[in-house]
Amino acid sequence: MTSTPTIPDASVEDRLAFAITEIARQSPDRAAIVAAAGSPSRRGIDYAALAAAVEKLEAALDAHRPVGVVARAIRVESLVAIAAACGRQHVPVAFLAEDSRDLVGELRDWVTLDDSLVLPESASRGPRREFTAIPAQVVVATSGTSGPPKIVQHSWDSVLAAARLAEQWHGLAWLLVYDATRWAGIQVWMQALLTGGTLVVPASRDPDVVAAALVAEKVAVLPATPTLLRRLLTSADRSHLAQAAPARITLGGEAADGQLLADAKALFPQAKITQVYATTELGEVFRVADGRPGFPAAWLGKSLPGGVRLTTRRDGELLVQLSRDTADVGTGDLVERRGDRFEFTGRRSDVIVVGGAKVFPKRVEEILRRVPGVAEARVYGLPSAITGELVAAEIVLADPLPEATAPDQVRTAALAICRESLEPQSVPRVLDIVKQIATTAAGKTPRRPAPVHP
Amino acid sequence: MTSPQPSVADAIASAIRTVLHDTGRDAKAVEPTMLLAADLGLDSLDLAQTIVLLERSLGIDPFRQAPAAGGRPAIRTVADLITIYTSALPSPSPPPSPSGRGPG
Repeated sequence: MTSTPTIPDASVEDRLAFAITEIARQSPDRAAIVAAAGSPSRRGIDYAALAAAVEKLEAALDAHRPVGVVARAIRVESLVAIAAACGRQHVPVAFLAEDSRDLVGELRDWVTLDDSLVLPESASRGPRREFTAIPAQVVVATSGTSGPPKIVQHSWDSVLAAARLAEQWHGLAWLLVYDATRWAGIQVWMQALLTGGTLVVPASRDPDVVAAALVAEKVAVLPATPTLLRRLLTSADRSHLAQAAPARITLGGEAADGQLLADAKALFPQAKITQVYATTELGEVFRVADGRPGFPAAWLGKSLPGGVRLTTRRDGELLVQLSRDTADVGTGDLVERRGDRFEFTGRRSDVIVVGGAKVFPKRVEEILRRVPGVAEARVYGLPSAITGELVAAEIVLADPLPEATAPDQVRTAALAICRESLEPQSVPRVLDIVKQIATTAAGKTPRRPAPVHP
Repeated sequence: MTSPQPSVADAIASAIRTVLHDTGRDAKAVEPTMLLAADLGLDSLDLAQTIVLLERSLGIDPFRQAPAAGGRPAIRTVADLITIYTSALPSPSPPPSPSGRGPG
């Protein structure tokens, strides 16, 4: 066990650069980032190397003082260096994921930095912005779950609001399965590097590669969407995966169902499983740590720690009031009371309307996943001239299949179970067996648009 | 050159049998004269599923295209479906389709 580094206190924009340089001073060869983890091309980047990159970039930023920097690097270590240097130099920084690069037009006169970390020639020709005490922002694009991606400006305060800086969080290994340029991914690498931890970046999202990274790098904290965790649990080599021992699993981005929570608990009994409810616009709203789906019904209408108040619209949409003096914000997430809980039934935009009746894809997916022989499921709407929409589904078969079962029997059984458990309009009318369920760039299960079939 | 009609009729019969099978009903012989609702027991969901299956097998969804002048013909029998799909498929020889629309 390495000693826990002392993390200095600093003003919020300076904090990331401060933490990196300070840890580099105390333990220069401590691993900051493990890139391509779980593959033969694994690369370790220590704090000394990262701090050197930050300081070099800071000098260039200080000389040119650009209006803002668009981080267009691919490597996580470059993104970290850009964020740290821009923060300490009070230069606004933007992280735009691959699918939101068009939004760069909104950031006029900003300079682009790639993995070379060299400011372009144009940086010195653009308008110069003097160092200012005014807090600089961090610009992030939304994941586009509820519409086209859009740019959201955050203060460094809001970026770091959810960071856990207490000593129990120091020096841990964090897995990054999220896109490093999106809100969820930024939260993970900021958290890891602010606390002297090691950021473990798997070579790909292939379940076996992720499992290998978890085991080889002794990952302690596994943040993931329910979709990514489900894929890991159902598709990675089970005996290999069982050697991993994460202390914490943090789920976010989508609602987790009871089955997934139970499966995760069974495989990783020592792990504390937390569900985080956050959006790119609101940041973290609340977290649930009792291992059950949804949140306690008693929370509705009460002021939660941090001053957050939850209410629902008449149609069941969850509304969030961040503080007493702000307005309710619609989340687009629908909740339903079940006993002493409110459980998420899905996003309003995911609802499939079949002949005027609403179908919640998440509920149909949960039923499909319970069918023996089904490992994963995805439900989406297909446009129909007759009924408006039609429920379609994809399933991934378990490997191996239950004894003496043919793929087509699983399909027939799945349809029969859906007919028994669901209203007629909710039963999938198209049910395809696929090798893998597609995930969005944000690691979620896509519900729209319908996939293209060959 | 054969007329596309036999394959269209086969595709429609096969799609209807799949719908009946998928919904837990007995697949039966499908004849052009059969009434979709009264003889085959197809409701609007079944018809919507048939159309999706046919889009996969024939590559077209004539119901998504703008209806021809005079509105869409009634779909009561298997033969009505055969007519709609046959006329929506591009003709193998002149006269060319007046709307100029081919499969998407």
